[in-house]
Amino acid sequence: MATEKSERFDQVDWNDLSRSGRFDLSVNSLGMLLTTIPLALLGVYDWQFLGERTPTFEFIGLEQNLETLDFFFIFTLFLAFWYLVLPLYQNPRMTRYYWKEFRRNRPAVVSLGWLGVVFVGGIVGPLILNAPQQDLLIAYQPPVFTSVADTTPATCVGEVMNGRCYGTWQHPLGTTGGGKDVFTMIVYGMTISMQIGFITTTIVATIGITFGTLSAYSGGWVDEIMMRFVDIILSFPTFLMFLLILYIYGAGLGMFIVVFSLFAWGGTARYIRSKSLSISEEEFIKASRISGASTYQVIRGHVVPNAASSIITQLTLLIPGFLLAEAQLAFLGVGDSTVPSWGQLIATGRSDLSFAPWIVLAPGIVLFLTILAFNFLGDALLDALNPEAEAENG
Amino acid sequence: MTEPLLSVRDLEKHYPIRKGIFNRQVGAARAVDGISFDIAEGETLGLVGESGCGKSTAASSVIHLEEPTSGEVIFNGNGREGATRNSDGTHPNDVTKFDDDELMEFRRGAQMIFQDPSSSFDPRMSVGNAVGELLKVHGMNDRHRRRAIVEDLLERVGLSASDFDRYPHEFSGGQKQRIALARALVLNPDLIIADEPVSALDVSIQAEILSLINDLQEEFGLSLLFISHDMSVIRQVCDRVAVMYLGEIVEIGPVEEIFTNPQHPYTEALLSSIPTPDPRSKVGGIELKGTVPSPTNPPSGCRFHTRCHKVIQPEGVDIDQEDWRGLLNLRDNVAAGEVDVEQIRENLAAGGTEPTESAVREEIRHEFDIGETVDDPDLERTLSEAIEHLFEDDAERAGEVLADAIRTPCAETVPERTVHAPDHESACLRHGERVPAEPNPADD
Repeated sequence: MATEKSERFDQVDWNDLSRSGRFDLSVNSLGMLLTTIPLALLGVYDWQFLGERTPTFEFIGLEQNLETLDFFFIFTLFLAFWYLVLPLYQNPRMTRYYWKEFRRNRPAVVSLGWLGVVFVGGIVGPLILNAPQQDLLIAYQPPVFTSVADTTPATCVGEVMNGRCYGTWQHPLGTTGGGKDVFTMIVYGMTISMQIGFITTTIVATIGITFGTLSAYSGGWVDEIMMRFVDIILSFPTFLMFLLILYIYGAGLGMFIVVFSLFAWGGTARYIRSKSLSISEEEFIKASRISGASTYQVIRGHVVPNAASSIITQLTLLIPGFLLAEAQLAFLGVGDSTVPSWGQLIATGRSDLSFAPWIVLAPGIVLFLTILAFNFLGDALLDALNPEAEAENG
Repeated sequence: MTEPLLSVRDLEKHYPIRKGIFNRQVGAARAVDGISFDIAEGETLGLVGESGCGKSTAASSVIHLEEPTSGEVIFNGNGREGATRNSDGTHPNDVTKFDDDELMEFRRGAQMIFQDPSSSFDPRMSVGNAVGELLKVHGMNDRHRRRAIVEDLLERVGLSASDFDRYPHEFSGGQKQRIALARALVLNPDLIIADEPVSALDVSIQAEILSLINDLQEEFGLSLLFISHDMSVIRQVCDRVAVMYLGEIVEIGPVEEIFTNPQHPYTEALLSSIPTPDPRSKVGGIELKGTVPSPTNPPSGCRFHTRCHKVIQPEGVDIDQEDWRGLLNLRDNVAAGEVDVEQIRENLAAGGTEPTESAVREEIRHEFDIGETVDDPDLERTLSEAIEHLFEDDAERAGEVLADAIRTPCAETVPERTVHAPDHESACLRHGERVPAEPNPADD
């Protein structure tokens, strides 16, 4: 009886309720906490108690080692799962609506499929494929279905017919001059690309959203100073900065990600600021304020979600820029040569272009497709998330 | 006298206008300039006026969405009944002086419905969560309980419990306004401020929403401040009406009294805008010329005198009222430099032959609805002289001549409130000789 009574809005004893300000944690935050804490502990353990060369998982007998970058990558994966994927599952109606809008754009659906392949390949690939080994005996094997003069490879793994060496399924995309399998290297490159994509996005989104929202809500001089700072960030020659850091500290992939994403959030912050300003004029913000919600609650509950969903497109279009930048740096020879990124692979095949073009072409095409996919995806997300923008464009 | 639920006294909201590098205040837009009214428990007060007269600003100041510049908003609901004034003259129930906790409590006592149903919901929040958000903000952490309450409420406003998980874009405007009503109700308030709740809806839907509002009001004993520019809607839902013009209330009274016996010319003009099926109806056809003057620099005296069709003629003048209004308009337009003889001549020439001098003169009179001759010889002479100056391209001199001769008491004296019937007051100089309004008991 008592429960039934309390289910009507006019029979709530507010004086009783409003005193009991219990801390309320959502499933998402709880899940995030529960997964991040072990990761953080593992990170601390790896950093403090294990030697430089000891694999992280030695205590359970695994050879797997995690670098700092891997820890960050896993953290961003957790973030994406708890705050992006899970909410989509929790709000099936909204998901279905977005999917309906998104599906109309065929190339984007194909792109999503391709990015899915890259993502899964990047996560699972390194676990099931052995790292590519140097083996000079099988250098310059051609990809399957193609052939080269049998003088090109040291020894031909496949058949030799009429003086030509044919490719085999053993090395579907051929091998490099060092005898490394190109396909395996591309799969390992997927991991690097995903790491670049996820970590930069997280850094850019975090700084951009925080900075933009703060600036919009501070107003006055603070706003002015913050936005001029954004101007500085935007006009900063990141490449020169990176070269400088390269000569002082050396440039690992981690350094690349940190430097480039620390100078890439300017546009995002500016966009978030203007979006926050326009959202805060909406009537639902007034309604929320009249409900008694504090400024923090209004920003957290309404302004940030609405502003943030509109930068997804921008972030999606930011990732290809990073991937290209990494490839360009690798090609110039100032990239991180210890990681098997696509750019590195292209760089190694550069000198062999005349007789072994697949070493450059295979990762080049994969890189091209990935960047194209991100662009299509961003375009479709813009239409799906902001139907008004589409209407305005006609 | 029983204590009103809400009592607004001399509420003012001025928006400062800043200029220059030092942001110096150079003036203020007086959106709401000293309004007072009471709302009793269970009563509906209509607030009516043209766009830009400060209705919505009044609403957001009353609900404390914006800090009013001055004045009192005394809210006696939510178990704060029967409070008396403190010794220093402040009232313990004055919303403008509430601290954070009291304001939070006030939020549970007064809620608001907005005009535009499409922008009053967060597009990324299901409507159930949007309604339940209020419960959450006020400390109800039990998700299932929130859901039960909101589902019950959604059914009460004519939707179904399964609508909880749907998103705003899945509803029509009328349905969204029902949800807005649910959101306003969910904290069980005593007062709801409805800011043009039906003006964005179709007429057929309007009626549904209005009757829903009526039903809910009866069931839960709500008081309503109903803002609208539509007199017919006001007549349907309100018990009393306050007519606003340029930040001031010009007339306030019971709805029947206002509709059958309007005292202020502005009210008459508003009423005449309702299409009426009765051909013998007394009011009708009053056309308000021009736009509402800017609240940054409101007209002196009675603020309505620049557009009033009953503007008072000074002592010793007794001419046709339409001529008088025309003369005043001519004076103002000449002063603003908006009368261009050349332009008038060209317009006439476009009709065919080159116009004669007298045809142009006639056109000027015609444009300002002034008859062929003005009944008063002095004024007629002034008018001819002014037109003469206009022909000589001396608009400045013409303005001076007109300004010297044509004056109305309306521009000089601020009208007091006069009482016509119990609870029916208006502020117009034409009623000046009648009994002035008694000081309101709540002012003591």
